[in-house]
Amino acid sequence: MATITLSNVSKDYGGGPVLRGIDLEIREGEFVALMGPSGCGKSTLLRLIAGLEEPGGGQIRIDGRLVNDVAPKDRDLAMVFQSYALYPHMTVRENMSFALKQRRLPQAEITRAVEGAAAKLGLTALLERKPKALSGGQRQRVAMGRAIVRNPKAFLFDEPLSNLDARLREQMRYEIRKLHRELGATSVYVTHDQVEAMTMADRIVALNDGAIQQVGSPQDLYDNPANLFVAGFLGSPPMNFLDATLAQDGALVVEGQTLARVPPPAGLASDAAVTLGLRPERLALTTPTNSVPTRVDMVEPTGTGRVVHLALGAQRLKLFTMDTRPLAPGETVGLSVPPGAPLLFDPGSGTRVA
Amino acid sequence: MSRALALRLEPYFYTAPSLLLIAAIMLVPLVTGLSYAFHDLILLDPLSGDFVGLDHFREMLNDDGFWTALRNTVVWTAVSVALQFGFGLILALLLDRPFPGRGLVQALVFLPWAVPGFLSGLTWAWLFNPVIGPLPHWLHGLGLLATPENILSDPHLALWGPIAANVWWGIPFFAITLLAALQSIPKDIYEAAAMDGAGPLLRFRRVTLPLLAPTIAITVMLRTVWVANFAELIVVMTKGGPADATQILSSYIFTLAFQRLDFGYASAVAAVLLLLLLAYAAAVMVLRHVMTERA
Repeated sequence: MATITLSNVSKDYGGGPVLRGIDLEIREGEFVALMGPSGCGKSTLLRLIAGLEEPGGGQIRIDGRLVNDVAPKDRDLAMVFQSYALYPHMTVRENMSFALKQRRLPQAEITRAVEGAAAKLGLTALLERKPKALSGGQRQRVAMGRAIVRNPKAFLFDEPLSNLDARLREQMRYEIRKLHRELGATSVYVTHDQVEAMTMADRIVALNDGAIQQVGSPQDLYDNPANLFVAGFLGSPPMNFLDATLAQDGALVVEGQTLARVPPPAGLASDAAVTLGLRPERLALTTPTNSVPTRVDMVEPTGTGRVVHLALGAQRLKLFTMDTRPLAPGETVGLSVPPGAPLLFDPGSGTRVA
Repeated sequence: MSRALALRLEPYFYTAPSLLLIAAIMLVPLVTGLSYAFHDLILLDPLSGDFVGLDHFREMLNDDGFWTALRNTVVWTAVSVALQFGFGLILALLLDRPFPGRGLVQALVFLPWAVPGFLSGLTWAWLFNPVIGPLPHWLHGLGLLATPENILSDPHLALWGPIAANVWWGIPFFAITLLAALQSIPKDIYEAAAMDGAGPLLRFRRVTLPLLAPTIAITVMLRTVWVANFAELIVVMTKGGPADATQILSSYIFTLAFQRLDFGYASAVAAVLLLLLLAYAAAVMVLRHVMTERA
């Protein structure tokens, strides 16, 4: 178990910076998700921690020890790769024993560790098989097993579930989370999947364009996103963004209609243009007479409820409702925005203003 | 014709054209060539052509030239293939990692392969000639030769001349195939091994070598058969001499057939070479099968 500290870490492959000024403290036993779209630098950041890449600048410390120049094999970290990277010429048992053999542990101890991990992951019957005789889900487990037998200082996961089908992914999410609870080991988990980040992480590090956008608990990022990127990345269906003007008295005007009122914010010019963020599930349908009239564009049933596409003037937004009343495209319905739902962003910089 | 019979015969009709073609271009010459081995067939002797049974093979047992050639074939093949493989592997490993100008170096490395064997034999013969070539002087300077003389005219050393040329000429084959095999090993397997605590040497031994093994087995087998049959360099550089000291079986066959014009005896030696190579190939196949079964 370890703390991992990054200060002002940067990386450049020669085509512009991949990571800029990364400051991050990963606490002992914590499960941290590095989340962002492809190309945001999250995998590079993980590989820097692993030692598979060298940082261009800054310092990486594991348990306070500077590891910038320490080879991966001497960092005592275990990594689960997206491709699993199992040794194709070795059986499951040999795959899982490989690291322990390098450390010249006694054979009895290796056998005990491998069989213990195999039992935990349901691999006991597969120990003598080679990777090519395993299904995708089983290979994934072997990759996990290879990591946990080592009892490393920390686990690094590089999109470990992205090659699995949706059902298996959900199951493995649960199992990884459970393993983490049992082992209590520091874990860094790279994902582009907001559901994985939300459901698994103690804290999410949202990355975009090589820089940290926000760090916090999943709920905190969901409720209080620091900018448009974080707000738009988390949530399905995603947050609605509307062009609005904010009057001096706190009225939020969209397409000439006052959609909601917020406490009059300080420091904003009168009738300032803002980007209004609204979570689809926080909006409510009412009758057109006592709220803002909007037109139903399309209705998508999801099973749990319905996603209703609404047209408000020239702008579109989505609303998620569990209301079961009949809705037809073209119908006019009322849109109600409860207090506390509106999030305001600066349309230029994308940062949150209220 | 009954329908059942027609259905039974149908596949044979489809395959007949290619089978006939294969028989015509492969089996007929092979059988003809083998049949010469049992005949007394000397091109300049119009009275020859009788069936002589196993006479040629009995003659071979007492033919010093044959035994020298057989010994030379083993040395020539083993040393050439081992050195070609060793240098080829080193080159492939060097070329596997990126460096500035890799494309150019790759092209240069593969150049010897493009030189006709005949031409490289001539060039190497000149290199070993003390009048115009530097090699004897270098070898003398290094203390490997007492005097800067042509090793090709020394019966004890002459075989090393064609071997040197053969190694130079054959390295690219191993470099190309091993490089291709190296590049097909996923990079993240090395990274996983690095994370698992394996240093560069161990990664080479536990990851690279086992994953290259199938390619190594097949290329070494191919090259061995190939090199054992490869008489060109020897014919060009030493003509099997001095005093037949550098004959290998294939150059001996060439000499017997096209200089002594004794086609019958040449065919008998060729049949023995064919048998030896078949036995070798079968042994390698069995070995490979046993190894993959166990692995």
